[in-house]
Amino acid sequence: MRKIALLLLTVFIILTNVLGQNRAITGKVVNEQGGAIPNASIIIKGSNSGTTTKTDGSFLISVPVAAKTLVITSLNFVDQQVNINDKNDISVSMVPSNKVLNEVVVTAIGITRSSKSLGYSVATIKGDEITKARETNIVNALAGKISGVRVTGQSGTVGGGSKVVIRGTSSLSGSPQPLFVIDGLPLDNSSPGNTFGNGSVDYGNRAGDINSDDVETITVLKGAAATALYGSRGKNGAIVITTKKGSRRATAAVTVNSSYRFDNALKLPKFQNEYSNGNYGVYSLKFVNGWGPKISDVQDVTVKDFKGDSVTLKAFPDNVKNFYQRGISAINTVSVAGGSENTDYRLSLGNTDQTSIVPGSKLSRYNINLNAGRTFNDKLSARTTVSYIRTTSVGRPTQSANDPNVLTASTLFPRTLDLDKLRNNYVDPITGAQIALSSDKTGNNPYWIINNNQNNNELDRVVGNVILSYKPLSWLTISDNLGTDFYNEFRRTKTRKGTFGQLDGAFTLNQIYNNNVNNDLIATAEKKNIIKNLDLKVIVGNNYFQNSFRSLGVSAQNLTVDNLYTLGNAATKDPTNYFQRNSLVGIFGDIGLSYKNYAFINVTGRNDWNSSLPKNNRSYFYPSVSGSFVFTELMNKSNILNFGKIRAGYANVGSGTDPYSLDFTYTPATSYFVQYGLNGTFPTAGGLLGFSGPGQLPNVNLKPQNQASVEAGAELRFFDSRIQLEATYYKTKTTDQIIGIEVPLSTGYFTKSINAGSITNKGLEIDLRLQPVRNLRGFSWNIDLNFNKNKQLVDELSAGLQSYTLNSAYSGLVIKASPGQTFGIWGVDWLRDPSGNIVINQSTGLRQTKADVRLGDMFPEWTMGINNTFSYKGLSLSGLIDIRQGGVMYSGTVVGLRTSGLAYETLANRGQVFVDKGVYKTSDGKYLQNTIPVQSMQDYWQQNFQGSNTVANVFDASYVKLREIRFSYQIPLGFKTKKFVKGAEVGVEARNLLILKSYVPHVDPEVNVFGPNQIGEGVEYYNVPSTRSVGMNLRLSF
Amino acid sequence: MKLLNIKNTLAIIFLVFFASCGSKLDINSSPNTATAVSPDLLFNYALTAWSSNRTGGDSYIPFALLSQNQASAGNYGWGKGNVYDISPFSTGNTWRGYYATSGNNFQLAIKQAESAKSVNNNAAAQCKILLANMMFEATTIWGDIPFSEAWKTEISYPKFDAQPDVFAGILDLLDKAIAQIDVNSVLKIGNYDLLYKGDMVKWKKYATSLKFKVLMTMVDKDPTKATQIGQLLSAGGMIDNGSADVLYPYTTESGKENPKFKVLKQYAGGANLFFFCNNNIFKYMAPLNDPRIPVYFDNGPTASIINSVETEDDGDDNTASINVHTLFKADAPDLIYTYQEQLFFQAEAYARGLGVAVDLAKADLLYKMGISEAMTYYKINSNASANYLAAVPSLTTTANPVLEIHKQQWIDLLDRPQEAFLQWRRSGPEGSEFPQLVQPAGTPAGGFLRRWDYPQSAEIIPNTNAPKTTITFTTKLWFDL
Repeated sequence: MRKIALLLLTVFIILTNVLGQNRAITGKVVNEQGGAIPNASIIIKGSNSGTTTKTDGSFLISVPVAAKTLVITSLNFVDQQVNINDKNDISVSMVPSNKVLNEVVVTAIGITRSSKSLGYSVATIKGDEITKARETNIVNALAGKISGVRVTGQSGTVGGGSKVVIRGTSSLSGSPQPLFVIDGLPLDNSSPGNTFGNGSVDYGNRAGDINSDDVETITVLKGAAATALYGSRGKNGAIVITTKKGSRRATAAVTVNSSYRFDNALKLPKFQNEYSNGNYGVYSLKFVNGWGPKISDVQDVTVKDFKGDSVTLKAFPDNVKNFYQRGISAINTVSVAGGSENTDYRLSLGNTDQTSIVPGSKLSRYNINLNAGRTFNDKLSARTTVSYIRTTSVGRPTQSANDPNVLTASTLFPRTLDLDKLRNNYVDPITGAQIALSSDKTGNNPYWIINNNQNNNELDRVVGNVILSYKPLSWLTISDNLGTDFYNEFRRTKTRKGTFGQLDGAFTLNQIYNNNVNNDLIATAEKKNIIKNLDLKVIVGNNYFQNSFRSLGVSAQNLTVDNLYTLGNAATKDPTNYFQRNSLVGIFGDIGLSYKNYAFINVTGRNDWNSSLPKNNRSYFYPSVSGSFVFTELMNKSNILNFGKIRAGYANVGSGTDPYSLDFTYTPATSYFVQYGLNGTFPTAGGLLGFSGPGQLPNVNLKPQNQASVEAGAELRFFDSRIQLEATYYKTKTTDQIIGIEVPLSTGYFTKSINAGSITNKGLEIDLRLQPVRNLRGFSWNIDLNFNKNKQLVDELSAGLQSYTLNSAYSGLVIKASPGQTFGIWGVDWLRDPSGNIVINQSTGLRQTKADVRLGDMFPEWTMGINNTFSYKGLSLSGLIDIRQGGVMYSGTVVGLRTSGLAYETLANRGQVFVDKGVYKTSDGKYLQNTIPVQSMQDYWQQNFQGSNTVANVFDASYVKLREIRFSYQIPLGFKTKKFVKGAEVGVEARNLLILKSYVPHVDPEVNVFGPNQIGEGVEYYNVPSTRSVGMNLRLSF
Repeated sequence: MKLLNIKNTLAIIFLVFFASCGSKLDINSSPNTATAVSPDLLFNYALTAWSSNRTGGDSYIPFALLSQNQASAGNYGWGKGNVYDISPFSTGNTWRGYYATSGNNFQLAIKQAESAKSVNNNAAAQCKILLANMMFEATTIWGDIPFSEAWKTEISYPKFDAQPDVFAGILDLLDKAIAQIDVNSVLKIGNYDLLYKGDMVKWKKYATSLKFKVLMTMVDKDPTKATQIGQLLSAGGMIDNGSADVLYPYTTESGKENPKFKVLKQYAGGANLFFFCNNNIFKYMAPLNDPRIPVYFDNGPTASIINSVETEDDGDDNTASINVHTLFKADAPDLIYTYQEQLFFQAEAYARGLGVAVDLAKADLLYKMGISEAMTYYKINSNASANYLAAVPSLTTTANPVLEIHKQQWIDLLDRPQEAFLQWRRSGPEGSEFPQLVQPAGTPAGGFLRRWDYPQSAEIIPNTNAPKTTITFTTKLWFDL
């Protein structure tokens, strides 16, 4: 309660605008070409007061009468000091900082440090980069832009999830994703329920709630040395978001950023259009496939279509394409920012409205964000950031399989299906019953699903914190950052009565509540010249973090009244509830020394107490050390190498496990397993409950997991910084992993919780920036290239354990770790002779198989992003290419397309005698060339390419994508216009424009059915196609 | 002064924080689970999980197709494929049920029952009998399996016992259960017992009958078991009427339906589009116009008579399906042990002279009682039943009485594919089984499937004491001659 009162008081004080006895100075900060420099910092020398420039470079600052000098700083420019004298209007031309990097970056726990002092690799993306071609999920904005950061979208679902992994997956369990931090507060990026299963629905990842327009910078802390102060939570790296602030002593500036874009499916299957549905060449309505007669051969007969009409068969080549509609995304943000002498504020309202390419599916999101700061006096200042987010979505499609609502049919339309007819005839006008696509009613009409059976959610979220800073002595600052991030989400899925597979109708309700509370109390002592030329900075801190998660759900079946989704209308109701809480207390310290501003060393230490571990082992300490050396400071000034820095870091980090995994307990069973997604529910007949002992034998002696990492790198700038190279080598070794190793089931348990296993990630990151043309009569050309090669290796599992299942999908496909290899996709392979030829079954002519074989790496060998930017005066054109090389992908959609004879490639050899290439084994063990033909091409595709023959549907997942193109133009404004409009920029933007190269047929090689917080990639099962987005953007500032 | 205040304040903050640090961290007891529960709850979970596997897609469907007592009708029905290619999910999930999901919960329940202040011997016995039945299934699927060292937390890698030792262990477990039963005690699993509602007399009969079934499975390979068979025949105490049938009930309530019905409900709109009338059973039913035909089968949509197909042949709209209104209905129970099954076993013992002198008259009586009981179970009207009984050959006059019993056993087990598979294997030495089958289309040449592969990832790979050499599925189990 006291904390809340304090928060309210602070907000109140900040919003109370007190004006001082000062004079106003206006001005503009420009680069050498006269272009505006936004966000440059203007500080009154000798004080903490200042402002920043607006997008047009202008500023307004209120200075005390006695003030003499302004200090102007901006990223990549040399600091300038300007005498005020009697001037009321000051224009400043900044010189690029070719020699020295003065970039200030936000590091762990919100500590800002100069870039050159860092002993580890960080990358920063400025808000401008993100807001020009805005992604509705901010995580996607990182794709292809930063070395070592890999982003994978889950699906084309509006508001769908994306996963980000930095420097490879280091653990056998737990989420592989980094920590997200916003203004010093850990941001929840969970994705409850976004897991692979029967009928999975992509509800997105919670970092996707952030409005890109509120973001000033995103700093990516890649290694443990950078995140050491975050402790356990930072073991996978950290993504630190700083939100925009208002400028001090500035009148209210209004900015409008508006985008309107059209979306369509990036890639749709390539179909055959010659054969109708049926079986072995005979037309039959029972089948939704392409194994019927050749359409051109049956033009003399009429057959019944799905509606019962007599028709002559004809192909509708675009029926699948036309099922998807044009999606529309409208993203609008209005913000107002400004400040007085001692206060600043920025208030924004964002709205994202998206209509999916899947009919009936849409999303709406509102973001309200307030960031306000106040300096009370020389010693005390405060800042608060509060965001309210509301997301509602309708009709999130059901993906994967084993659920009546999966839109399988929309991918597998018979080629003779008239889509317009289907759209207008999915319900029998007399009976109101569903009209099925097939006569045996085994699948649902997709229009029945999208019009009736929707998955909806509503989410309300508040993220807010208060930072109080007290500076009792010139060298000491004490600050406290208290924040909370909580959301309430309601989900509802509906299955209308009359849905095949759930004829009696059903619905589920889920209420999810998640709450994070975080407090960081930090004292910073800074002393210059403790010995000659040696500066010291000491930070000590205390952290408290608590996560609480609660869910309450009801699954209701057997509805009586049609279209009424309320519990009183359901004959069967199965409620579930769950609660979990875990907390972490940490104390930490950081000692930093810098010598002459070119040699730096930092030593950190942190001790965590983690509630999830046994009392005896829950306290653990880990250190880090990092250093950097700007060697060019000691060299003669050179035009070839104008800046050079080397750096190195070592860090150790420990971590805990899931809560409640230590005790031997009995769980009330809500359901029992039945194959094909047909789980039954408790209570059983007679209303009897069931309880089950644990599947995992708990371990009361668990230790914290340990991760040690080293990195070394160099940052070099050549030829007046026209070539900027940053390279980092890193190695991370994670040991004592807390895993549930599989034990023989005959022990009675599935797994046993132990500390075991070791995984190493080794890699190289290269960021290269080239400026082939720099301001040649206003024309500039920049090339930004980033490259990451990461090699993940499982050094060992538990003694005797040959593989460890990380995740599994349908039909024997599993994601496994095995010693000496990277995580891989395992499944059924072809049986091969010693020379590698496929062994053919002599009675059928079909291929023989072998189970439990590693079929490829889950992760890429390397990734690369190349961005070219051309600018000429107010015009700018840029394009980002994203490359992935290596790894494999399994496609369930391809299985469906091929086994159903709808894929283009199934045309080959139809109606002909076909002998598959391979060998057969003679009775005396010899292998001879196969001569037995398959009985039909239908058998060939249906049997050889069935889903359980994993190898047949695994492809090289490498790709080259044109990720982003944007064109922007700063409209020159006349003097008169400027009175009203300070800046105007229009742009054309396109995201996910093209797949330039891919080895996966029919689907985007990037979509993934596993959730963002699951270990598992490269598996696709009827995911919503990912989308291409093209549109316009307008930015105005007033 | 000011500095002092700040120092004090900071000190207080730190003190407050760390004083309460312990309580902030002592939050690791789950509010979602219990540290102890009564055996009733574990029993109900374990039993339900076992039955759902028996009737679901991991067990019922593969056994129905591989034993060839039902037909897939190829692409017209369930889909064409190598019916001997048993999915690793089937083998893995079934094994998982026997040892973990059901097996371990029975063991935990036994522990709870026997360590309770008032020892609940009946509850322990009830769990042991079901555990014995499950392990009997497991060994007839895989042969050598972990038994004597299974479910012991101190043993990480249980050894695989040879099948005769497993059978011996099962018989011993059943003897212990029988000895433990106290029909007069109120301590038992009563309301939570979905099979008998705590009728311990019936439990004793079930345990004794199960012993009989185990011995009937062993006796061909180990003729010394005939003695025990004879003893049981004279001692009695086995299932002796239909009310003691071991049936797990399902209901029409959503989520509580028989899993085999749910396959049709979910994927076939409630009609049976997947499982069809197999020639291998229909050809023995048709000649005498078996009154069970309309109970077992439904005409194809365009047929007026029952048309059967071979196991993997493509069906069409004339092909008869397994009757969705009877065998595959939502509230069809899971038949775990029936009185007719018991009667046929007894008939077989007398016809073959197992532990008793060959007595065809007695065998014929039991055989006809078995048929009659089967008719009763399937609610055949008494006239039709009597006509059929009059038409079946008398065991006293027919040339091969044992074959006639096997024929009835085979027909009776249509809805119990796993038992049908066992019955076929124990019905005669290789090549002389009843019925005489041919390998289903699409299966690799080399012989009939006689066992399932061991589940690799769940047992063989992690268990250092597991047999590592691949045993082909055509290799016979110990009991199978």
